[in-house]
Amino acid sequence: MKNRILICNGTSGISAGAEKVADFFKEGLERYNLQDDYDVIKTGDRGLFRDVLVDIVVPDAERITYEYVTPDDVSKIVEEHLVKGEPVEKMLAGEDYKQFFAGQTRIVLANCGEIDPESLDDYLAHNGYKALKNVLSMTPDDAIKEMKTAGLRGRGGAGFPTGMKWDFCRQAEGDQKYIVCNADEGDPGAFMDRSVLEGDPHAVVEGMIIAGYAIGATEGYIYCRAEYPIAIKRLTRAISQSEERGYLGKNIQGSGHSFHLTIKQGAGAFVCGEETALLASIEGRRGMPKPRPPFPAQKGLWGKPTTINNVETLANIRHIFEKGAQWFASVGTENSKGTKVFALAGKVKNTGLVEVPMGMTIRDLVFGPGGGMLRKKAKFKGIQLGGPSGGCLPEDLLDTPIDYESINQTGAIMGSGGMVVMDTRTCMVDVARFFLDFTVTESCGKCVPCRIGLKRTLEVLDEITAGRGTEEHLTFLKEMGNTIKNTALCGLGNTAPNPVLTTLRYFPEEYQAHIHDHMCPAHVCTALVKFEFIEENCTKCGQCFKACPVGAISWEKKQYPILDKEKCIKCKSCIDACNFEAIQ
Amino acid sequence: MIQISIDNQQLQVKQGKTVLEAALDAGIYIPNLCYHPDLPPLGACRLCLVEIDGMRGFPPSCTTYVSEGMVVQTRTPQLQEFRKNIIWLMLSDHPKDLAESTQFQKVVEWVGIKDVLPGHVSEPRKLPVIPEDEPVYIRDLSRCILCERCVRMCQEVRGIGAIGLINRGIKTYVGTQIDVPIMDSGCKFCEACVEVCPSGALRDKDSFTEEEREAFILPCTNTCPAGIDVARYVRLIAEGRYQDAIEVIRETVPLPYTLGCVCPHPCEEACRRGEVNEAISIRALKKFVAERDTGRWREKLKILPETSRKVAVVGAGPAGLTAAWFIRKQGHAVTVFEALDKGGGTMRIGIPEYRLPRHVLDQEIKDIEDIGVEFRYNTRVESLDGLFDQGFDAVFLGMGATKGTTMGVPGEDDPRVLDGLSVLASINLEGKSELKGRVAVVGGGNVAIDVARCGLRAGAEQVSMLYRRTRQEMPASPEEIEAALNEGVEIDFLVAPIRVIAQVDCLQVECIRMELGKPDTSGRRRPVPVEGSEFILEVDRFVMAIGQKAIIPEGFEIMLNRRGYIEAENGRALKRKRVFTGGDVMSGPATVIEAIHTGRVAASEIDKYLGGTGDIMQRFIPEEPENKRLGRDEGFAYYKRIHEEMMPVEECLKGFDEVEHVFDEKMALEEAKRCLRCQLRLTISKVPMPPSK
Repeated sequence: MKNRILICNGTSGISAGAEKVADFFKEGLERYNLQDDYDVIKTGDRGLFRDVLVDIVVPDAERITYEYVTPDDVSKIVEEHLVKGEPVEKMLAGEDYKQFFAGQTRIVLANCGEIDPESLDDYLAHNGYKALKNVLSMTPDDAIKEMKTAGLRGRGGAGFPTGMKWDFCRQAEGDQKYIVCNADEGDPGAFMDRSVLEGDPHAVVEGMIIAGYAIGATEGYIYCRAEYPIAIKRLTRAISQSEERGYLGKNIQGSGHSFHLTIKQGAGAFVCGEETALLASIEGRRGMPKPRPPFPAQKGLWGKPTTINNVETLANIRHIFEKGAQWFASVGTENSKGTKVFALAGKVKNTGLVEVPMGMTIRDLVFGPGGGMLRKKAKFKGIQLGGPSGGCLPEDLLDTPIDYESINQTGAIMGSGGMVVMDTRTCMVDVARFFLDFTVTESCGKCVPCRIGLKRTLEVLDEITAGRGTEEHLTFLKEMGNTIKNTALCGLGNTAPNPVLTTLRYFPEEYQAHIHDHMCPAHVCTALVKFEFIEENCTKCGQCFKACPVGAISWEKKQYPILDKEKCIKCKSCIDACNFEAIQ
Repeated sequence: MIQISIDNQQLQVKQGKTVLEAALDAGIYIPNLCYHPDLPPLGACRLCLVEIDGMRGFPPSCTTYVSEGMVVQTRTPQLQEFRKNIIWLMLSDHPKDLAESTQFQKVVEWVGIKDVLPGHVSEPRKLPVIPEDEPVYIRDLSRCILCERCVRMCQEVRGIGAIGLINRGIKTYVGTQIDVPIMDSGCKFCEACVEVCPSGALRDKDSFTEEEREAFILPCTNTCPAGIDVARYVRLIAEGRYQDAIEVIRETVPLPYTLGCVCPHPCEEACRRGEVNEAISIRALKKFVAERDTGRWREKLKILPETSRKVAVVGAGPAGLTAAWFIRKQGHAVTVFEALDKGGGTMRIGIPEYRLPRHVLDQEIKDIEDIGVEFRYNTRVESLDGLFDQGFDAVFLGMGATKGTTMGVPGEDDPRVLDGLSVLASINLEGKSELKGRVAVVGGGNVAIDVARCGLRAGAEQVSMLYRRTRQEMPASPEEIEAALNEGVEIDFLVAPIRVIAQVDCLQVECIRMELGKPDTSGRRRPVPVEGSEFILEVDRFVMAIGQKAIIPEGFEIMLNRRGYIEAENGRALKRKRVFTGGDVMSGPATVIEAIHTGRVAASEIDKYLGGTGDIMQRFIPEEPENKRLGRDEGFAYYKRIHEEMMPVEECLKGFDEVEHVFDEKMALEEAKRCLRCQLRLTISKVPMPPSK
């Protein structure tokens, strides 16, 4: 194998200049006549944003990773590292980088950052389509049996056993069946699906072909949001390459099984991630959910039996059929097998995609790959799990193991794997309000509890954060939250009250503080911030003075700052800048 | 059948029913708003949630199908609590006053109101402003509860898609694409949306009671004095089924072509298409199918076995002819006595040929003769007892109102002062005209117009009409007035003659100007003379066409009312057994279509009297389920009314040829397709209402 220069070239890489970095590497190699010694490979992203990441991979030698590479840095790396053999020390990826990856078990993301997503050959060289070959030698029933043994559960959020889902669809009567890939990643901040599609599109295609074979579907759709143009481009390429080489289309690899794939672009409505709404959207109708039953496995796309699997679920399939169900089942816990990818964000040092085995505790994730809190002095306050309709858990639940049942028990959900770390500067009421604002906007409006209930809930949260909250408001939030959870039509509505219900459950004192003390402990709710300095905490450092954008704070060295309330625009920049909690 | 239990009641239920349907069938009410029997279930309002053993959560009963052994609870405290909260949510997004007697109001009452958060002020909905001048129905979006029944009706059942859901979430509303006015939305005004709206968000511009419902929704058929199924035959024409259409008309009337020529079409005045832009040309459509009648109905015609009962019909006008037709069809022998030498009555005497070609009338009378009705022309009946003596079991009197009334002004006995009906009779029957020179006609009805228009064709140099009110109050049909004006008749409004002064070479008519005062008993504003406004009009002939009365021989010994017409109830003459009546002699001057109706009513009564069932209706075209899909036609609301082509005025004035040309097929199809198909609304099922508590 040739030496490889791997350049992160997904959405994040490209935004940081990866295309140019790659071009400069090629030019540099030619300049030193090294083009035959190295392949410059544009990979997907690895899930950790360090501008452009570049790996120099030489067989039998230690892999060298550079971080924050800009196009201007390339000539230096070429000259010193590739020509002289001396790695550029100060640009090497640091401890954080290592810590981030050290605690992970990468199955789904294994190829992301490793292979050229636009090359079928590279995929084949990384054991691509071996799984398909294995599957085609089994009967579909055996394939489903294998899936059940593997114990993979749907990664879209609900965690329904994938093997069973396939089996329902296989058993359903219908002349035509469909397999649909849900690539409508709607949770803000979640980007694992995008990364997989950009970094390893063939894995998803292979997963779909296998699923199609198992359930007896000859047609598949990938429903991908139009905001993912790179993913769509690479998927389109992957599909045409696979067709050319006989992995897709009629009579796949001489097996007699046929399978066709079509990409459908969605307009980015959050609710279209809900499977019945997604199907409506593919059919060209307004993306609105329908009550289930009938489940899509009985009556799905155009009334035909349909299996809908999420990108991450499908990306697992090839590994199961390549290495065996037993192997897969050995990862994770009794009831939650394999790994789960999380989009770690918030007030944590390393943010990005983290893939860990099921069963790891939240604490180990946050303080392992996550690297702990972003600000050294910051205290962990809570973690929001499962996207906008997930829940917020307090510190004493940090040791909750990551598996479907344990997380559901807390009132949060696994969801698609959103994970936002919060410190004491996060107001939990405001967090609930923020997520409600999102779900109110994204509610499709079909059912009453979700359409009106969420809006009324948001209005009440607005009242509380504006300092006009009452005890009746809290009763209302609980009662209406419970009503919405139990009566809304689809998963969006059923889970949308979670941020409110979990913050009420785990952080009641914050609501009490807003209502009875008229204060926001995190100093986030502007209406409740007094904009006063606490002299005993103040170190007279002047950070607040520097941060104020309107010159409302006057300060001189070794003096307490003074705020001109007339000038103050209540932007809270001073509060953010203060490291000593000296402004309230 | 499968066994299920709802609220501990054991029920036998058909497979394939939803839990909601099963419950409603069994008299167990579950509140619901987005459910409609004619629509696929939606599951959006969440009021019909129930608890089912073995099922997670609270499934909506409208989308859950029954299965063997299912155990359902519909009224647990938990469910009622949820429902109250949902109702509170709906009300929080709704005007305080609920539209009266709507399903929504009743459901709210049934569930009960609980103030979940006292004092909470909801953010008002952001809704587009709907122009107030939109026709037919009101869109009051603030009352919309987004049950989507209207949208589903419009899109899925009617296939139109004029309205849909706009925006999403709390900003959702039912609207047209980019909020265009409803006229531009593709709306076909079938009003299925209005019919299914539970909350009064979509409602008719005019309100109506439950009794008025059918007449309001389907005014054409319900306005027709003879009860012709207008909606049905217009639809058949739109479907290209012309022969079926004429046969539908023939189920009710034996003179369809005549009606096609002369009917004053109250149906068109009531037609709801008129609220959108212009009414359907129903009369012209009738004429179109009558003209191309192949006579296929003759093979279908059923004449009941001879009963050996004999009926005399006096007068061969529209009432008599109709009565004769239907009585004969019931198997009775019928003899028509007619004073003139031809049948038709007023249709022949009064209606000029340019409106009703005589071959039309002759053919329709012949059709009646052909089923065995005997006609005795030139036979005036002077005594009813004479008829009974001849062995008739029953008599129908339909002699019409043939004597013109006079004004009672000084000088009206001059021979140059004529009576309108007599003028028409001599023109229509003998081809002779007494009109010459300058002619003035007084009156505002169809007879006055007919005289005026005939005058221009038969000798007059100049014709003017005098009418004491304004054009708006004129009883003549608007199209007749229009035609008269086109042909050169002058109409002087707000004028009344008060004296005729005979001069040697002319008549001087002294007139007075009028103004409109307070409404009189007819609802029209009473004309009041303007003092000192007298003026003289110089004419050669002066025609009075201000009304007619009936002439009833004394030998009839029959009870008359104060106006001089036969007093009858349901076609039965009062206090005179075996005598029935209809037409103008009973009602006073009216229209052909009204006369036909009275003839039919009397025929049914006579049949009953003679031992028949009275059921005189014969269906030529079996009733069939209609296609509920209308489909989309761009610009439908603006489709113009198709008018019959008219002969050029110069041509018209040369003689008595028919003025209006019958539609060609393209015109007829185009016109019939403008129909709003109001009758479809009547086929929409009723929603289950909550039982009163």
